[in-house]
Amino acid sequence: MDNQYDKVRRSTTPLQLDVVEAFARGRLSRREFIQRATILGLSTGAIGAVIAACGGSTASGTAAAASQAPGASAAAASVPTVAGGSIKVAIQRPAGPNDPIAMQDLGNYGTTAQCFEFLCALDKTGSGITQGLAIKWTPNTDGTVWTFDLRQGVKWHDGKPFTAADVVATMKRLVAAGNAGLKGVIGPDSAVAKDDNTVVVTLLGGNGNFPYLVSCFNPQSLITPVDYVSGTTLDKRPSGTGAWKLVTFNQATGATYARNDDWWGGKTPLDATEFIFFDTIGPMVTAYQGQQVDALVQFDVLSGKALFDDPNFNIIQTEAALHRQIWMRTDKGQFADKRVRQALALTFDRPALIQQLFQGKAQIGNDHPIWPGYPYFDGSIPQRAQNIDKAKALLAEAGVPNLTADLHNGQLLEIPDLAVLLKSQAAQAGITLNVKSESLDTFYGAAWCPGEPKDPPCSGASELGIVDYGHRATPDVYLNAALKSKGIWNSSQYASPTFDAAFSEFQKSVTVDAQKAACTKIETILNDEVPIGVPYFYNYLAGSSKTYTGIYASAIGQLFLSSASKTA
Amino acid sequence: MGRYILRRLLLSLVTLWLLVTIVFAIANVLPNDVGRTILGPFAPQESVDALNDRLGTNRPIFIRYADTVVGVVTLDFGDSYITNKPVLPDLMAAVARSAKLAGLALFLTIPVAIIAGLYAARRRDRLADRAIVLAGVTSSSIPEFVTGTILVVVVGVQLKLLPVLATPPPNADIPTQIRYLLMPATAMAIVYFGYIARMTRAGTIDVLQSDYTRTAAMKGLTTSQTMRRHVLRNALIPTVAVIAVQIGYLFGGIIAVEKIFNYNGMGQTMLFAAQRKDIPTLVAGAIIIGIVYMVATLASDLIIAWMNPRIRLDSNS
Repeated sequence: MDNQYDKVRRSTTPLQLDVVEAFARGRLSRREFIQRATILGLSTGAIGAVIAACGGSTASGTAAAASQAPGASAAAASVPTVAGGSIKVAIQRPAGPNDPIAMQDLGNYGTTAQCFEFLCALDKTGSGITQGLAIKWTPNTDGTVWTFDLRQGVKWHDGKPFTAADVVATMKRLVAAGNAGLKGVIGPDSAVAKDDNTVVVTLLGGNGNFPYLVSCFNPQSLITPVDYVSGTTLDKRPSGTGAWKLVTFNQATGATYARNDDWWGGKTPLDATEFIFFDTIGPMVTAYQGQQVDALVQFDVLSGKALFDDPNFNIIQTEAALHRQIWMRTDKGQFADKRVRQALALTFDRPALIQQLFQGKAQIGNDHPIWPGYPYFDGSIPQRAQNIDKAKALLAEAGVPNLTADLHNGQLLEIPDLAVLLKSQAAQAGITLNVKSESLDTFYGAAWCPGEPKDPPCSGASELGIVDYGHRATPDVYLNAALKSKGIWNSSQYASPTFDAAFSEFQKSVTVDAQKAACTKIETILNDEVPIGVPYFYNYLAGSSKTYTGIYASAIGQLFLSSASKTA
Repeated sequence: MGRYILRRLLLSLVTLWLLVTIVFAIANVLPNDVGRTILGPFAPQESVDALNDRLGTNRPIFIRYADTVVGVVTLDFGDSYITNKPVLPDLMAAVARSAKLAGLALFLTIPVAIIAGLYAARRRDRLADRAIVLAGVTSSSIPEFVTGTILVVVVGVQLKLLPVLATPPPNADIPTQIRYLLMPATAMAIVYFGYIARMTRAGTIDVLQSDYTRTAAMKGLTTSQTMRRHVLRNALIPTVAVIAVQIGYLFGGIIAVEKIFNYNGMGQTMLFAAQRKDIPTLVAGAIIIGIVYMVATLASDLIIAWMNPRIRLDSNS
């Protein structure tokens, strides 16, 4: 086994070696090691060899479980299954055209991901990546160049072969469309086809997380054909390399798919799938209870209470970076004083919020957007807990013992309830919060980041509010857009040269130690200065009837059914 | 009669124009950014600006209004901002869905309500009358979404007798479609039973007390002959008018029922269009609902004119 370990060490790139050494020296947990190693393109066998050499088990929970390619077998089932049949899935109605490059809503993410695929696929844990259209990816020494070996024998639904030219064209299109995940990471000519089965991507700067940006965690990075024109929609031109072919699409009712018999992953156990569109979660739940749908792409704790008590319902729960930010204006107004922001944050009873809003299905937050699931998260920063006396003392020191403020929020999921709970918690310290619950249109347009004034962005934001953030595989978007000086979503108007420097350091860092060090600084700064309160990161919830198995979900509204089958 | 119909049609055109103008004003004058609403709050500003350019939403308002009016006249409502597809086919599909649901609801409620109203009127102040009035008041006091929710939970979820979703499978036969629509139609029928039954009862009581009804009885006509020849056609005039107004509401106003049963009729379609600032769909939908109202009220006026010749004579003079 040690020979295998040495073999791995000798054959890895410097970045991969850094991760191996970090794990060997105990600086990474096994889970973190598997995650980081997979991102950096270490093979399943290599990961297993390292873990075994370091005294860990190579049984379940190792790279095998994390890296199993989708569709390899229906072996996710430990129960007997039958071939054939179909499944009905409840999903949010797409809010715009199903254009894979420009789509922005969960309904479209879920429906397009049935047909198109990513270079890096979602693994069955729901939070990591594995082989997709790329079977291997390798960074250079400083993470500025990534080489992707493409899967061979893949065909588009019209029978044409999938080649490197498709990947190169897709990258160009994404850059031209201003894809948020790839902006500033690659340029229009960054991707080059070395040959039909190899793509080399030269980044604008080192980035140790690049594979995440060409995975389902960047939902628009689906690979589209070389001759695809931006603006084309899936229903106008059904296409893809995936396990399912689009048969019908009706914006009013739903979409149906049939098995792709030429799929590289083999024959799917199910023959067909149907996605039924819903506007709200309540009818999805009753549709499941009435046995008219078999699975839900997403639901929340409050609407789906009946599902938790249903012994025939299998909940797919994924810990995710989904969170709410309670922004406070740092440039003017009552919250410009750091002591006032800290005081408000000290009134949050986070365990109570998690229990009341999510029945415990969330992780505690510490007033920064670095989710505990990120491999570079530093848990040593002291956890802020409710401390009413300290909050009162800070307010008195700041000269605002009886603070009153309007708390703006949009009517989305549990956010109105969160606002009410924060109001009652803040009242204990003498802070009066007037809850202003608004429709999402009004909230985003008037309270969060109004269009005017344009410069700096978001400078028209209200003094205090709650905004939602979806899951991201890396925190770059949260840090860049919401917290960096003049960020496009910087509703707190936070402008800290120290933070900006730490974020820049994080962006450039590619080794484990460098990323962790940069994150430690970021967490410390944000926890101290509190431009945003982050009380929790809540789990993504999806689920299906137990008559089906082999279903897994991302935290961004995608349900993967290539391994799904009916139980016997 | 011909002049009457022509006059009503001309007035309808004026009403339609007013409707288009009001809907356009509401959709365009209030603060909004169509591109931002479609792409969402996290889309890059460049994408939003590009979309607004493509949709033409940043053109002067008078040009957009003129385009809208021309589109209505030529029945070319343009493409939906959401789907990028022509508005009319999707809207007509939604109208068809609403028509099926409304038709079934009216089929369930009208005969039962009229019979109940007549029965109650002939037994005025007796137990049957009080029971029917009480049932009517109760049923019309409970909102249809409450009735719908109870039906979903009891009939759909617990007893599993009927599907909880109202949309039938594609190409379903008529019995299957009726099975899927039965619950939402019943929820609506329960509410409208009260209105129609009470209106029928009131109209019948009024006619039963009239001189010509007493004359008919004194002439020797049987009760059923009196009811058929003299009472019914006069008693049902207000009922016909109420039903006509309800038809328009059934097409566009039952959003709550459509939401509960996940049925994409005109209500949901219009709500979605309003939330997403899909102005072409909003304008076209408002026109269609307006036309439904006008056709329904015109039809009711014609039926009433047929039932009561004095109305025809008055309009001709």
